[in-house]
Amino acid sequence: MPSSLSARLLLSVSVVLVLFFGLTVAALDRLFREAGERAMRNVLEVHLIALLAAAEGSGSQGLSMPEELPEERFAQPGSGLFGQIRDENGEVVWRSASSVGAPLRDAPVLAPGEREVTNLALFGDMPVMRLAMGVDWEFADGTTRRFEFDVAESLDLYHAQVERFRAQLFSGFLGLMLLLLAALAMLLRWILRPLRRVEAEIAEVEAGSRSELGTGYPSELSGVTENMNALIRDERARLKRYRNTLGNLAHSLKTPLAVMRSALQGGGASAGELEAQIARMDAIVGSQLKRAATAGGTALGDAPVPVGPVASELRDALNKVYADKAPRCDFEIADDAVFHGDREDLTDLLGNLLDNAYKWCDHATRVTASAVDWAGRRRRGLMLVVEDDGPGIGASDLRRVLARGARADERAGGHGIGLAVVTEIVEMSGGSISIDASALGGARVEARIPPR
Amino acid sequence: MRLLLVEDETPLRESLSAQLKEAGFAVDVAADGSEGFYYGTEFPADLAIIDLGLPDIPGMTLIRRLREAGRAFPVLVLTARDRWQDKVEALQAGADDYVVKPFHVEEVLARVNALLRRATGWSQPVLHCGPVELDTSRQIVTVNGAPVELTSYEYRVLECLMLRAGEVVSKAELTDRLYDQDFERDSNVIEVFIGRLRRKLDPNDELAPIETLRGRGYRFALPRAEDRHD
Repeated sequence: MPSSLSARLLLSVSVVLVLFFGLTVAALDRLFREAGERAMRNVLEVHLIALLAAAEGSGSQGLSMPEELPEERFAQPGSGLFGQIRDENGEVVWRSASSVGAPLRDAPVLAPGEREVTNLALFGDMPVMRLAMGVDWEFADGTTRRFEFDVAESLDLYHAQVERFRAQLFSGFLGLMLLLLAALAMLLRWILRPLRRVEAEIAEVEAGSRSELGTGYPSELSGVTENMNALIRDERARLKRYRNTLGNLAHSLKTPLAVMRSALQGGGASAGELEAQIARMDAIVGSQLKRAATAGGTALGDAPVPVGPVASELRDALNKVYADKAPRCDFEIADDAVFHGDREDLTDLLGNLLDNAYKWCDHATRVTASAVDWAGRRRRGLMLVVEDDGPGIGASDLRRVLARGARADERAGGHGIGLAVVTEIVEMSGGSISIDASALGGARVEARIPPR
Repeated sequence: MRLLLVEDETPLRESLSAQLKEAGFAVDVAADGSEGFYYGTEFPADLAIIDLGLPDIPGMTLIRRLREAGRAFPVLVLTARDRWQDKVEALQAGADDYVVKPFHVEEVLARVNALLRRATGWSQPVLHCGPVELDTSRQIVTVNGAPVELTSYEYRVLECLMLRAGEVVSKAELTDRLYDQDFERDSNVIEVFIGRLRRKLDPNDELAPIETLRGRGYRFALPRAEDRHD
């Protein structure tokens, strides 16, 4: 099989066209020949009747033909028209000048009223059509004798006509087929242009001159290109996450390393001190790498995660942890609010936001989730809002709480590490996060996550 | 108060149990899940601290089995997995709170105290009974606003009685909650602690905060104040 789609299509269409045109040509050819033969037969009939009309009974039961024949071609040798009359004994009574040297028919004489049409060769190689008919000739004296009238016409002209017809037919159909194939090839070029565009844009993405595939693809392709974009974004986010992790890792490992070096230089490094720093480094490596390895948006294959059940689970869990405070937690979660990504990421995202809300609220928290239209996407994204009625977050703290890389031991500090994790998850999925004041009185964190 | 600590990492188990004992708790330690289940079902415990990553039985399963065996004490989970899915699953399995490793011991102590208090129906960290106030988070006791100096064991005995104010607490229960199982039990020690507490809380014999019920035990007699919800 050829590997190109257009080659496949052109090949299969060519086969179909050849079959179709071949059958048509064969049928037309057959029709044409049948019509031609019928016409030939009619012409022969006319000649025969003309001969019958021209023949004269001469005296005592003989037949004679006048010098002036109705069709002068009978008199011209090589004219291709032949005539002969035989009596009941098969003796030739009259023969046209054209047929001298070639008996038209020598089989037994036909009975009166009997006709015979035969194709045969005269003079060895001249194809002719012959019409023979038996007649009862009534003489003037009332006696009748049987005669046989034969006429034959050369098929050369007919064959030439058939050849010409065939040539026209073939060249006509061949031209039509080539025209159709050319039109199809152009059509294919036009139809497949979006595919070539995808190919070109992917090459540009690979080369780095383009960040993702463009929009405006036909509907059959936009699903593919959107998923491709999700894959590209996911890959890029994963890379960013790895870079962040490595950056954080390098940064956080430097502190224990510095402690160990200064302890060694001071000369008083105890085994316990070194052990403690090693344990710290081990913990840092473990937690950072684990997070980088396990988390991550999944672009394909996973169904979107409904927000409702995850939020309920988290509320049950947090109600247990914050049993003393027992705050109210209202849900306004639309049924079509779904998270396009990994369930654990959604749990982390909402868990951290809700944990902060429970931590900082007086009595009341609220989770709002709904599907929102997303520019340039067919599917809808997710808007997730978590609010509380606590003191809120001051403008000066905003940048700090959203900053990446807050260290794990700062986690007791409230909004810190939790929001850093949230920011990471949201940004990795290509979404955005914003914080402002809630109508409840405290902080309002809004995360917007795009569809795949 | 008597705690059960189930943790397979020996250094962590030893340091944590030492620090819990220092804070005045009696601590049973178990190094794996089946040992933890044995202690949890065979010995009285007021609270269990369970690591989720145990070698034989997963911590989650241990919690479930303890709950199925009818053990209602609060469970604090230690986990190295800092993902919400794990926390949610642990809480669903029957845990009451969690601490993520690595943790500060103060964090664990705060959670333990809060869980113990909650399990006895107190919803605030400061227990009020008449003029006596006991702050479980700072371990400070005041009478009519004046601070009272208590030793660690005295504090634990008072906390035990006040958490269950109005209920009778037997001498055996107090011993269980103050000492590990290998401690040589001497009920006279409890009587000594009770005597000292009475003198420190009520130097002028006006309040009579602790009743003695012959053959049954002790009862903190001052009425609980209404819990103040903010």
